[in-house]
Amino acid sequence: MNGATINVLYFAQVAELTQVRTERLPLDEPITGAQWLASLEARYPQLAPIARLKLAINQHHVRHDAMIRPGDEVAVFEPVTGG
Amino acid sequence: MVIVQEADFDVAALIDGLRQRTAGQAGALVTFIGYVRDYAPQTPTDTLFLEHYPGMCEREIESLCSTALARWNVVECMVVHRVGALNNSDQIVFVAAAGPHRGDAFKACEYIIDALKTRAPFWKRETLADGRQFWVQQTEDDADKTARWDTTETPQSHS
Repeated sequence: MNGATINVLYFAQVAELTQVRTERLPLDEPITGAQWLASLEARYPQLAPIARLKLAINQHHVRHDAMIRPGDEVAVFEPVTGG
Repeated sequence: MVIVQEADFDVAALIDGLRQRTAGQAGALVTFIGYVRDYAPQTPTDTLFLEHYPGMCEREIESLCSTALARWNVVECMVVHRVGALNNSDQIVFVAAAGPHRGDAFKACEYIIDALKTRAPFWKRETLADGRQFWVQQTEDDADKTARWDTTETPQSHS
């Protein structure tokens, strides 16, 4: 019963809200970032509003209309504040 | 050269290394150093914690350096950025660009620090002297400064 999954990473305030830094979540079919974030909000209602959240797929910044595919590494975070 | 590390850095040693690597090619070497400061109005900052996304962070900064090398006449760009627990007034980031002439070296250095603030995956958590903690928010000014590099060669002054 090993279905397809994605490896999800949470950083900074997002990790504090989810109370987990990394987890493997099922994903059988490609899905847009926006659709996937909506499912993530159902899992973690405390993440709302999700429109502010940023995504990286396989360590590249992407917009919410980018496709997430099974096997991807997906990172969720608030706008970055380095420098 | 891009380095992300917990340890402090020696600015003089970094400049000396860059100067030796670019000897004969660089008539200009421009540096920027960022320090921990008070972020909240009225209440002093006690400590800062910097979290990052290992791997992506280094690659994003490498990409900014590559863009700067392609866009301006510079021979080397360098970034050292600290992570982990920092105290008020500690050094956070060192950016340097070396090239034949100062004009392009200034632009490359400013571009890298502007773009780093909106692209490199770092997050600052602030602890104030009164014990309150919060995550620093990206400012519109930071986003605007990066966006302006997409449309103009030199950032335009707002004032």
